[in-house]
Amino acid sequence: MIKENDKQHEHLDHHHDEEEVMEDYEVGTKPESLRSELLTLNMGPQHPATHGVLRIEIKTDSEIVAEAIPHIGYLHRCMEKHSENLDYRGIIPFVDRMDYLASISMEVGYALTVEKMLGTEVPARATFIRTLVSELQRIASHLVAFGTYALDLGAFTPFLYAFDQREKILRFFEEISGARLLYNYVWIGGVWHDITEGQIEFLRDFLDEFEKELDEYHVLVTSNSIFKDRTKDVAIIDLKTCFEYGATGPVLRGAGYRWDLRKIQPYLLYNQLEFDIPVGGDHPQVGGVVGDCLSRYYVRMCEMRESVKIIRQLIEKIPAGPIMGKVPKIIKLPKGEIYMRTECPRGELGYHLVSDGGKEPYRLKVKSPCFTHVSILPKIGPGLMIADFVAAVGSIDIVLGEVDR
Amino acid sequence: MLDELVQELKSKFPNAQVQLHNPPEGVGSSSIEITPQSLREVCFYLRDQSPLKFQVLQVISGIDYVDYLEVCYMLANFDLNRSYEMILKVKLSDRVNPSLDSVSDIWPAANWQERECYDMLGVVFKNHPDFRRILCPDDWEGFPLRKDYVAAKFYNGMQVYPDHKMNLEERSYIIHSKSQAEELQKKSLAKGL
Amino acid sequence: MKTSLIQESSTSDVSRKDKEETSPFVQYFRNIFNAVSSTIKGMSITLNYVLTRKPTSIEYPEVREVLPANARMRLYNDALNCIACNQCAMACPVDCIYITSYPRPKDLEVPKTEDGTPKRQVLVQYTIDTSLCCYCGLCTTVCPTECITHSHDYEFAQYTVGQFKYDYTDEDIIAWRDRILGQKNK
Repeated sequence: MIKENDKQHEHLDHHHDEEEVMEDYEVGTKPESLRSELLTLNMGPQHPATHGVLRIEIKTDSEIVAEAIPHIGYLHRCMEKHSENLDYRGIIPFVDRMDYLASISMEVGYALTVEKMLGTEVPARATFIRTLVSELQRIASHLVAFGTYALDLGAFTPFLYAFDQREKILRFFEEISGARLLYNYVWIGGVWHDITEGQIEFLRDFLDEFEKELDEYHVLVTSNSIFKDRTKDVAIIDLKTCFEYGATGPVLRGAGYRWDLRKIQPYLLYNQLEFDIPVGGDHPQVGGVVGDCLSRYYVRMCEMRESVKIIRQLIEKIPAGPIMGKVPKIIKLPKGEIYMRTECPRGELGYHLVSDGGKEPYRLKVKSPCFTHVSILPKIGPGLMIADFVAAVGSIDIVLGEVDR
Repeated sequence: MLDELVQELKSKFPNAQVQLHNPPEGVGSSSIEITPQSLREVCFYLRDQSPLKFQVLQVISGIDYVDYLEVCYMLANFDLNRSYEMILKVKLSDRVNPSLDSVSDIWPAANWQERECYDMLGVVFKNHPDFRRILCPDDWEGFPLRKDYVAAKFYNGMQVYPDHKMNLEERSYIIHSKSQAEELQKKSLAKGL
Repeated sequence: MKTSLIQESSTSDVSRKDKEETSPFVQYFRNIFNAVSSTIKGMSITLNYVLTRKPTSIEYPEVREVLPANARMRLYNDALNCIACNQCAMACPVDCIYITSYPRPKDLEVPKTEDGTPKRQVLVQYTIDTSLCCYCGLCTTVCPTECITHSHDYEFAQYTVGQFKYDYTDEDIIAWRDRILGQKNK
């Protein structure tokens, strides 16, 4: 059997002439005449504990990346097609599952979009609770970004410390909404359950403890010289690239541009609260240049501190009252379309909702920030070494549920 | 703001047939519609020379109205002291082979957005640097977000909707005969339901 | 040829004395000092955790956490109180509830649920496919008699996917009624 098939595959054998081989290996040959080719390496789609199902095809020239091609779609659940067959309330569990680490931000964006078309009035207590819960979710999401980024670079300890603090936030969410990760809590017209005095006391204690923890994280990770050397001056995304590719959120703020939708087009209660917008380059003592991985990471750490400030202001002023506004039993939006964006922990989330007057949307398109951020990788990848590329992918903080929807 | 923009575009690009669409029932966003042929020149103008500079393309969303396809470009301005967004629409009446010019050299963000629009709706973008499907597998047939899309029964030898997962027995459109219905009722009544 | 592909990056640590020209010799030792001192500071935090903090892990399954009252775990439908109105099946976003019911024969008397609603339908089959359920809780909010609720059962692994379909009109499942309705009172 083997002998018969031998002849079929003869054309696959590469026969080198003796002379050809000797020429390549002559003494004193110039490097340019040595035959070399790019090595194709697959980063993913399985990763140890981080990133999600993202496959990046890297063509490397020894250790330096020459081309980086991301392949997405491994988590594509076609939520946009599903939402054409669901009523407006039933879409909220689907919207949760896009960015599963920051579900409240997804729900708030969707609820605000529908309420703007519907014209409902949301009671004051519900708006306070929504803002409070959005900022808590921002802290929880940035803790995951911090922990998994340190894990990517080889530090195993900060991951569990961050998740320990996050457990307390998730426990708070479980008490108010019933679930730890996919809440279905922010409904059209208000919120589902109320929060009690005991839970607010818990929040006060948690915030005091958390600020001390943040200082410890800075000593543990930010001032560690190994971490600094791995993230300083690596994968610089400058302002021009950000505008060209539509990057927003910590990527744009890390590039030095003080852009935050909570200040520029305030929604919920952000125009009544005092907080700053941290930007890369604000703290030159940390090191590095504006737009590198370290400044994006540092922007996220500072944002956590600002969120703590916001929650403290909110806790003092929560009014009493109902938590749900008047919404018809069957929600039907008027004909038309709307595009609305909000600031979620990873960037700007936009919803384009087209309605034809029925119980279900005609089209719901989601502008997800991580989708645009993954498209920057082919631009910043070339020229980095493979270890730097891993640091770059971790610093843009992607969640594949949002990229693929 | 949109009215002034429409006047400017009408004067600069007379054959673009610029139209302003206001929301029909008063709530929602307004949008500007132009012809597909004038897309590139209008986009260059909006990015560079218009006083309302639209530096950023946020998202390209495609919608299937049954008679025509519509491609919407959300453009945004990112100046710190003012910020606004606008919706630019293009209608494609050819549903069989819809095609449009790519704007990925004007805004590189359009690269992946146009790939998704092709993947979901079948709109072909000419002169696109990397034209292939993005979310669905490369050998998928059909364009999911079209209203007349029916999923293929088999994909690479696997059944797309396998029978044992469709819960056919439990769905109530299996109609019981009269005698079966009476028997089941008796059982339920015996349990006290 | 290869060195030109690497992005320009400086590996020197930013320090106060960076403005002066430091010789590579001094910089070498300064780098070593910075590396060792920052690592020691970090390790002191870890040591602090080892010595002073209590472990936060809960040793499952010997110790189980107490769930809050509105935790959304596996669904339970109290079939004796169900009026087969179909609201839960219509509200479900993933269509995992399948209900079959027939009108009660006219000659029998109409029983009432616990809160007084007359049961005009005889519930013949009420199946929830728990493998499709997304635990959103929308069905529990629209039930008029509050017979479908979230229990606190989260340990229900099965060997095959087909075993996840629970018919709440079965006698074995009706027998769970007291245990599940008593869970929230603890």
